[in-house]
Amino acid sequence: MSEKALKRLVRWISESWMMFAFFACFFLLWEWSIDWFEVPKYILNKPSEIITNSAADLPRLMQYTYITGLETVLGFLVAISLAIPIGVAITFSNILRKTLYPFLVSVEMVPKIAFAPLFISWLGFGLLPKVIIVFLVCFFPIVLNAILAFGSLSQELDRFSQITGSSKIKIFLKIRIPFALPQCFVGIKYAAINATVGAAIAEFIGSDQGLGFYIQIVTGNMRPDLAFAGIFLLTLLGLGLFGIVTLVERLMIPWHISQRRG
Amino acid sequence: MNTAIQIQGVSKVFSTDDGPLVAFGPADLDIQEGEFVSLLGPSGCGKSTLLMMLAGLEKPSSGQIFLNQTPVHSPRNDIGVMFQESTLVPWRTVLGNIELQLELRGERPENFREQIDSLLNSVSLKGMEQRMPHELSGGMQQRAALCQALIHQPQTLLLDEPLGKLDAMTRENIRGDLQRLWLDKKPTVVMVTHSIEEAVQMSTRVYLISPRPGKIDKVVDIEMDYPRNLAVKQDQRFIQYLADIHSVFHSYGVL
Repeated sequence: MSEKALKRLVRWISESWMMFAFFACFFLLWEWSIDWFEVPKYILNKPSEIITNSAADLPRLMQYTYITGLETVLGFLVAISLAIPIGVAITFSNILRKTLYPFLVSVEMVPKIAFAPLFISWLGFGLLPKVIIVFLVCFFPIVLNAILAFGSLSQELDRFSQITGSSKIKIFLKIRIPFALPQCFVGIKYAAINATVGAAIAEFIGSDQGLGFYIQIVTGNMRPDLAFAGIFLLTLLGLGLFGIVTLVERLMIPWHISQRRG
Repeated sequence: MNTAIQIQGVSKVFSTDDGPLVAFGPADLDIQEGEFVSLLGPSGCGKSTLLMMLAGLEKPSSGQIFLNQTPVHSPRNDIGVMFQESTLVPWRTVLGNIELQLELRGERPENFREQIDSLLNSVSLKGMEQRMPHELSGGMQQRAALCQALIHQPQTLLLDEPLGKLDAMTRENIRGDLQRLWLDKKPTVVMVTHSIEEAVQMSTRVYLISPRPGKIDKVVDIEMDYPRNLAVKQDQRFIQYLADIHSVFHSYGVL
C-alpha cells in the first residue's frame, strides 16, 4: 500500500514538475523585475520582501484570517443547510415550483454583493452582515443545483421504485438522495469558491477587522507588501474550504464517475 | 391453466399539437399462466407502451387490463420488470443492487442469501457480488439487472427489450440464461423485442404488432420443444417460423 502511494507520488511529480517549474519562474521573474525596472516600494514589492515584512505582522494576520474564516464558514454552512431542503421542497411541491422557484431565479439575477452596504447599514459592523452576504453568495448556486439534482431522476429508476410498492420516504432515502448527491456537490463546490469573495467584499464595505478590512487599510497606507500577504491568506482560506468540500465529496460519492481514479 | 393477463380493448392515445395520436391499439389478448409471450414489432409501434400499461406505469386511454384476475389501476408490485435502460444504481455493488429490490419491498436481504446465490450462479455472476456496475461489461450488467428484476420471485415478469443494447454473442448467451430461469420457475413472461429470431427462440407464442398505430395483427404459436439452444436454429420448423414472420413484416413495408 505504501509502495503504491510512493509510486503514485513519483508519477505525480514526473507528470507535474513543469507546473512547479513554471510557478518558480513566475516568482523569480517577479523578484528580479522589481529591481530591474526600479519599481517603487509603495507600488509593488518583491515576493521575498512580502514574506519577511508580513512575518512581522503575523499575529494580526492570523487573527484576521480566523475572523474572515469564521464569517465564510458560517455563511457557507447556513447556506447549505437551508438551500438543500428548500431545493427538495421546490422539486416536490407544484405550488412552490410555480411561486418560489421563479422568484429565486429572478433574485439570482441580482448581484448579491450590491446588497452589502444595505446590510451593513441595517446590522452594523459586526459578524452578522458578513455572514449574511456570504450566505447570499452561496445560497443560490446550491439551491438551483439541488433543484436540478432532485428533479432529474431517470425515468427507469423512478418506475423501478414505483414497481416495488415502496414508501415515498424509503425511495427518497435509498434512491433519490444518492442519485442527487453528485449534482448537489456541483453547487456546493461553486459556492465554496465564491464564499471568500463574499466575505472579503463585505469587509471592504464596512468592518473593523478581517482580511478584507486589512487589505483595504494597508493599501491605504501604501503597503502593497502587506496587502499581498492578506490576498495570499484569503486565497489559502478559499483553497482550504474547497479542499474540505472535495474531500467530503470523495468520501460521500466515491462511486461517481468524477471520483474514479484512472 | 389460469389466465395471467387479460387485455380488453386497450388503446393508448397521446394528445399532440396536431391532434390525438393513436400510439397503440385497440387490442385484445389473453395470456395464460406460465407462458412466454413476445410482443414483436418495429420500433415506435407501441409495444413498450403496452408493456408499461401492463405494469400499471402508464394508463390506457381506453379498455381494461387484468393481471392475475385483478384490474390494473396503478403501478403493480406483484410483478418483476426489466426496463430498457439499466436500473442498476451506480452507488451500489452487484449484490447491493439485488438487495435494493428486496429492501424497497420491505424484505430482509439476509433471508434471501440462498436465492441470491443460486440466481447469481445461474447467470454466471458468481464472484462478482462486490463489483460496482461500471466495472462490469454490458452483458454482465444486463445479467445483474436480470437478477435484480427476479430476486423477489415474481409470478409475472415483464421484459422491455432486455437484450437490445448487447452484441450478438452476448445476446445468445443471456437468452440461454433467461430460458433456463424461465423453465425452472415457469413464471408468466411478456417480452418486448424487435428481433424475430429472439422471439421465435424464446417464446411459446409471438404477437406480431403492426407499425404505427400498433395493432396486434397476427399471433404465431411456436410449437417446438424446450430447451431451444443454438441447434434449434438449424431446425426446419424454426427456419419456417422466421420466414413466415419475415413475410408478414415485409407486407407492412418495414422489412
